[in-house]
Amino acid sequence: MSTVKHAAPAPVATPPVREARRSGPRDPAKRAQAVAGWILASPFVVVFLVFTAGPVLASLGMSFTDIRSTDMRSPFAVAFVGVSNYADLLQDPVFRKVTVNTLLYLVLGVPLTMAVAMLVAVGLNSISRFRGFFRVAFYLPVVTSIVAVSVVWKYIYREEGGLLNAVLGWVGIDGPGWLDSTSLALPSLVVMAVWRNFGTLMIIFLAGLQTVPREHLEAAEVDGASAWGRFRHITLPAMRPVLLFGAVITGIGYLQFFEEAFVMTKGGPLDATRSVTFYTYDQFSFGNYGYAAAASYLLFLAIVVLTAIQFRLLRERD
Amino acid sequence: MNVRTTAIAGLAVASLVLTACGREDDSGAGGEAQGDAVAEGKASGTVEVWAMGTEGEKLGDFVSEFEDANPDADVKVTAVPWEAAHDKISNAIAAGETPDVSLIGTTWMGEFAAADGLMPTPQDLVDEGDFFPGAWGSTEVGGTSYGVPWYVETRVLFYRTDLAKKAGWDKAPTSWDELKQFAKDMESKGGAEYGLNLQPGQTGSWQSYLPFGWSNGATLTNDDGTEYTIDSPEMAEALDYYTSYFDEDLSLTRTLDPGELEDGFAKGTFGSFISGPWHTGLVEDAGLDESKYAVAPLPGPDGGMGTSFVGGGDLAVFKDAQNPDAAWKLVQWLSEPDVQQEWYDEIGDLPAVQASWDTGELADDPQLQVFGEQLTSAQSPPSVPTWEQVAASIDSVVEKASKGDLSGEDAVKQMQSEAQSIGTGL
Repeated sequence: MSTVKHAAPAPVATPPVREARRSGPRDPAKRAQAVAGWILASPFVVVFLVFTAGPVLASLGMSFTDIRSTDMRSPFAVAFVGVSNYADLLQDPVFRKVTVNTLLYLVLGVPLTMAVAMLVAVGLNSISRFRGFFRVAFYLPVVTSIVAVSVVWKYIYREEGGLLNAVLGWVGIDGPGWLDSTSLALPSLVVMAVWRNFGTLMIIFLAGLQTVPREHLEAAEVDGASAWGRFRHITLPAMRPVLLFGAVITGIGYLQFFEEAFVMTKGGPLDATRSVTFYTYDQFSFGNYGYAAAASYLLFLAIVVLTAIQFRLLRERD
Repeated sequence: MNVRTTAIAGLAVASLVLTACGREDDSGAGGEAQGDAVAEGKASGTVEVWAMGTEGEKLGDFVSEFEDANPDADVKVTAVPWEAAHDKISNAIAAGETPDVSLIGTTWMGEFAAADGLMPTPQDLVDEGDFFPGAWGSTEVGGTSYGVPWYVETRVLFYRTDLAKKAGWDKAPTSWDELKQFAKDMESKGGAEYGLNLQPGQTGSWQSYLPFGWSNGATLTNDDGTEYTIDSPEMAEALDYYTSYFDEDLSLTRTLDPGELEDGFAKGTFGSFISGPWHTGLVEDAGLDESKYAVAPLPGPDGGMGTSFVGGGDLAVFKDAQNPDAAWKLVQWLSEPDVQQEWYDEIGDLPAVQASWDTGELADDPQLQVFGEQLTSAQSPPSVPTWEQVAASIDSVVEKASKGDLSGEDAVKQMQSEAQSIGTGL
């Protein structure tokens, strides 16, 4: 780090500077600094190794063994099974089903959450009165307890006496049991998740909108560009990094979808709302630690791949 | 480069460590001999006990009688919430830092015994024949008993007597045909919307469905508990009978919300349902009294009493117990018929010891007698460490059969193949 600071005053990197960088560690003052740095960093490094890196590596190791809850007294007396946990997972029809469900959560949830958040952010950006009030109101669901909210929404979605069906009843529609249908349950959960989660993105987008250069928008307006045209060709491109960030964190959130389904549908009906995280949770509670660890690493891999794709699609164009 | 070399080295070390370890062939529970008999004389020293729920709250005061009889013994009870209990016990076993005794849910016995956490019950500590056979069965893992039943619960038929009277029934149904007719009459003449509410799959529905299979003569495993025998004509017939209630609209095909069953029962939406002893309290809280509802044993297929599910809690002593001798003496004391009766008076747990039912309120109350009678034949699921997973797979197949058009025969085939691939874990 210190070499960067050194280089900063001299924007043109010249060979002598590089020379100095290479000889850095041999300089006694630098070495003392490095030692001091490591000593100061050591509490964090130790905590990180013991409580973060350790468990992560241990669970990776577990995913290649047949360890079960009954092995906890002698965790090393288990058999090494190679990638067979991973192979079994890919064969498991329930795992395939929950993978499809998770992808559905992702492709329904992410665009919807981002669209709603953007719509509200643009709306709030164009009003000046009550902006603070609405910002708080729309953000409120994010800070509520997810379990409490899920319980309330469960009652909203009820077939008999549910709020939603009562409202539909006023216009003569006989609403179904939203959470009891294999085709409606998952979209219903997505709608609730969008309502709960768009607040965070809204705040981020609102901040992003402030950074869009006002002169560009005014120039476009003078040139006769429509509101949609200005949004499409000036606001959106300017917000690309913000959109990327939003897509990545929302995507990761939907890939880890769990609590709503856990409280509202218990993964049912007929596994229609069970997600990969839910499946992993089940396997852990059945005591299949090795198998569950393998399932979490597959999910981890999916998150990495998805994030890489999003970075590629939304990166700054040169 | 450096990072990569370190990573490769790390992986190499890890794989060396992993390949160095391996399973011993004889791992797992079962085949262990029962423990040596506990020493004569009074208990002494500190006995640490974990108990859940109301048991955990009340046991501390209740054991003062035991402490009076054994002046050198000191019983320390720690209350543990049910939700946290499974993980807490499992962590304690893994760490070797267990209490001396704990209440263990009957369906956890297999797992904790196979984890090598529980001590086999000492010989001659209690007499197996004193307990309800199904309850004793829950303590046996791979042929060895790892604890003593403490309290039990079983499932019986709850029905609205006033609606039944309107429907022309002045007694409870006693065979499957009668039960079906009863449910139909409850709807057509009694005014109920659903004649008999059964659980259409989801968590715990195996506890409603398996009694039908057991009543029909089916078994879940072979005699030594090594192979599943779920795929049988008896099991298939029982499932077809069970799902016919959904097909004929006698039972609701969606899962009820908490509280909906009791309210619906009080309002007359549900004419009858199958559940355990806790529902007497819930039903009475919902506004019914014994003039409007009654309980009856589950009917068998061709008349006579059916076989229900027995659950409850066992008391087990851990292998890492500091004071196993006094711990077993406490367990022995808690299994005495009059102590079991007092414990019932204290918190209403149904005694696991049959003799406790011969006198007192348990003998006089007709409603309790129904539970007592049902318990004499009730069965527990096999105590294998993988039971929770097998049960979850049965739940999901029951759901498919209840909501879809999966036939009983195909459904039990599916249960069997899933159970087989899960294994017994012993």
